[in-house]
Amino acid sequence: MRENCRTFDVAVVGAGPAGLAAALAAERQGSRVLLIEREARLGGILKQCVHDGFGLVRFGEKLAGPEYAHRFLSRLSGTSIQIAALTFVSAIKKTDLFGLELVSAHGLETVLSKTIVLATGCRERTAQQVAIHGTRPAGVFTAGSAQYYTNILGKLPAKRCVILGSGDIGLIMARRLTLEGAKVLGVYEAKSVPSGLPRNLAQCLHDFDIPLYLSKTVTRCFGDARLTAVEIADVDENMRPIDGTQQILDCDTLVLSVGLIPENELAETLGVALDSATKGAVTDQDGHTSVDGVFACGNCVHVNDLVDYVSESGETAGAAAARYAVGTRKSIPVRTSDNLLYCVPQKISITKNNGEVVLYFRVKRELQNRRLTVRLEERTLLQKNYKQMRPPEMERIAVKLPETIGENETLYLQLEVNG
Amino acid sequence: MASIQKINRLLASEFMGCVEARQERAHLLLTGACADWREIVRAGYLAAKHNPLAGVVNKIEWTGGEIPKTRIPETRDNSLDGLAPDVMVIGGGVVGCAIARELTRKKLSVLLVDKEADVALHASSRNDGMIHPGLDIKKSSQKYHYNRLGNAMFEKICGELQVPFKRGGQYLCFPKKIPVPALYATKLYWAYMGIPSRVLGKKRLFQEEPGLRRDLGSALFFSTAGSVCPYGLTIAYAENAIQNGARFALQTAVLGMDVTDGTITAVRTNRGTLYPKVIVNAAGVFSGDIAAMADDQFFSIHPRRGTNSICDKKYSDAIARQHASTLFTGHSKGAHTKGGGVIRTVHGNLLLGPDAAESPEKENFATAQASIQTVLAKQVKTSDKLHQGRIITYFTGIRASTYEEDFVVCRGRYTKNIVHAAGIQSPGLTAAPALGVAVAQMAVAALFDITGIAPRENPKFNPVREAIPNTAEMPSDERAALIAKNPNFGVIVCRCEEISKGEIIAALQRPLPCASIDGVKRRVRAGMGRCQGGFCGPQVAKIIADEKGIPLEAVLKSGEGSELLFAPLKTRAEEGGGGDA
Repeated sequence: MRENCRTFDVAVVGAGPAGLAAALAAERQGSRVLLIEREARLGGILKQCVHDGFGLVRFGEKLAGPEYAHRFLSRLSGTSIQIAALTFVSAIKKTDLFGLELVSAHGLETVLSKTIVLATGCRERTAQQVAIHGTRPAGVFTAGSAQYYTNILGKLPAKRCVILGSGDIGLIMARRLTLEGAKVLGVYEAKSVPSGLPRNLAQCLHDFDIPLYLSKTVTRCFGDARLTAVEIADVDENMRPIDGTQQILDCDTLVLSVGLIPENELAETLGVALDSATKGAVTDQDGHTSVDGVFACGNCVHVNDLVDYVSESGETAGAAAARYAVGTRKSIPVRTSDNLLYCVPQKISITKNNGEVVLYFRVKRELQNRRLTVRLEERTLLQKNYKQMRPPEMERIAVKLPETIGENETLYLQLEVNG
Repeated sequence: MASIQKINRLLASEFMGCVEARQERAHLLLTGACADWREIVRAGYLAAKHNPLAGVVNKIEWTGGEIPKTRIPETRDNSLDGLAPDVMVIGGGVVGCAIARELTRKKLSVLLVDKEADVALHASSRNDGMIHPGLDIKKSSQKYHYNRLGNAMFEKICGELQVPFKRGGQYLCFPKKIPVPALYATKLYWAYMGIPSRVLGKKRLFQEEPGLRRDLGSALFFSTAGSVCPYGLTIAYAENAIQNGARFALQTAVLGMDVTDGTITAVRTNRGTLYPKVIVNAAGVFSGDIAAMADDQFFSIHPRRGTNSICDKKYSDAIARQHASTLFTGHSKGAHTKGGGVIRTVHGNLLLGPDAAESPEKENFATAQASIQTVLAKQVKTSDKLHQGRIITYFTGIRASTYEEDFVVCRGRYTKNIVHAAGIQSPGLTAAPALGVAVAQMAVAALFDITGIAPRENPKFNPVREAIPNTAEMPSDERAALIAKNPNFGVIVCRCEEISKGEIIAALQRPLPCASIDGVKRRVRAGMGRCQGGFCGPQVAKIIADEKGIPLEAVLKSGEGSELLFAPLKTRAEEGGGGDA
């Protein structure tokens, strides 16, 4: 290898909550760690989340986004972690080590690393990706962009605003824009049930008298320079607009909270296998992807609703990357019953005994009174009862694995009617 | 005239007496009233087909609705009042900008006006960027003539203007039921048309293009097809024209003209009255309106909309070369479109489309889901890898079609000091370099006829326009050297397209400034990727504000009135805070 290249044990791509946790966990294991961040400041999207509610699971208190990030950032200074901020990974090439090609104001640099931890997060789905048509004026923003303009740049993106999508960012922006003096005409949701957390529905909409309209979507934009109105239509059960139900609503801004897409373009160039349900990498319980030495964590694996679990997956992947040794891997698949949308991890490594594994999963639709059974072939490992299960709420369970697992076994998650 | 009577008989039977044709000067004039726009267009085609005169002017009134008025900039000043340029070019599309650039080869005062805030905002940014070999145009047409000349000029012009261009060729694919020998038989026709062609059997076709649909059996391959960034080329022409002395006045709309004894004596705009010696009409979909103002209308433009979709770059496995389309018997019969196809843009995205729909509206660029689906349904016949999930954005363009379906490239017929480059639709982009040269010559000839003076060569003319550096495409050593010189070229702002802050700042400092989010996007592609500016939009806005020394709330998305943001938040103002959050 080139001798003048900086060499690391673990290179973490992205310094949001997942990447920060991964870097800290890897360094604690004694690894030489490089933490690479595209933006000038670390913390990822947490920087623009000035609302509270972060850290309830992890720290037992309600923190604002920047405060939550600070819990991790403050620990960086005492470590040997090298930070490359305002640095872009233009390519990763695999030889005997991974060669990361970095671009920054300092120039071009290739660094080498034994392992990669991808913590690249998500991007937002755009108006074009949810088939909103009509004109293309100013005043159509994704919720994250609107949040950046409001909270980081300190400017108001809206005066009279329609929000499409009842995901958490949409709900939070409804409250934020109202607090800043904008009129939020309503939050429109194409699904028949809201997508956000119940606490956000209560605290962001109900407390501010912002109406929520279900089974309705925005189909068209009007206006040439600035948005002047949107067309709203009822949708059928397949979320297709119903002809004849269209109504026109005057507004200057449309904020879209219509879903997040895990960013896996770097992962794809490395040949990492992706899961069509999560749109993220297929991983084992260590966050190890299908490519040896490439780990993934946080929202680029699957979209989480709580940052606490993002940090948890970062710690797991970071520590595992630090322990990584080249060798043959053996794993068994994780299968779910049809009423589950997905389970992460999708595989369980049986190369070494991991003891306890954490499983994250979501249901496909709202369900009541169910019992989850986790079994290894015929051996039941865990059973848990759920009163209420909703797709927006990710479930997390920790399962103790037996000491020996056969190569041909399968781990099943089965959700059935209780009783 | 007997044949006008025949046209009237046809019109009477087809349109039940509500449409009438008569000769006006040397062209045919249609009058009457009709509630169905498609019928008005059909009457125009019918008249053109049997027209014994040269040109159809369709003045049938549409009673089915109201055609929106042409959008005119709100700005009113006298910044151009009293100017008397040698040549005034109306329209900043690729053709107008090419003409302006070619005119600067002579010692002339050249002024180009466009009513929009940037060049290439209509058809020249709303097309598929394909450089056509000229497959389905009549050999006797102006389209054929200029397409053939223009196509051959692309290596040279894109070299001089430093615009990326790829000549990857075009496949015309056929289903299995078409026997391969039948394709060999067509080679005679292509030879007659002067278009190099090659026949590919199934095996060869799938070797070259494994992403095509498996039920295709053969293809014709045309190596002279290519791909260019259409607005990139327009901007480059404009910049080079300005570099060589042309003046560009944007947000300048022509409102009327004074015509006396077959001569335009004055041109009224929202920025004052001008007295150009020669006028060039390159006003695209408005070229009929400009001709009417000049009292020189002998053709009509009827707008035809078309929508294209663009796929994420990472899904470009459907087509390896430039362009592929599939011809099924009868599929394009009667439809006035080349049928579109799957096009690999010069930037590596696949572009699907366009469709075609007649519309009375000249600048309604709204899209509709139905046209996306129509195009997709057609293009999956070429590659079944395509689906809606791969599309990252879409756009509508409006073609400036005449009823003769040909370009109008000539000196004025009734008015002496006008030259038309009108009715330019596909393959107008391909033809543009040739149209630039030819129309500039016509304008110079008109100037000579009027003044008796032949302009001298411009000794300072420099054909080379230096492009904005594209750091992601540069060799590493060159890129490293650039960053060492200016670290901003190492700060990546647009992650999807890997565009640096240095490139964005450079876009703001060009000969033709356009300090808007969309202006930057068209110049350096920041925001063109899969996140569509979700991440870089705010950053680009901030860079524009910083570079221009304006508040963020004054930053525009595109033209006037498109401010992105409102005044600072009230809470911040009250707290007296703000700044770095």
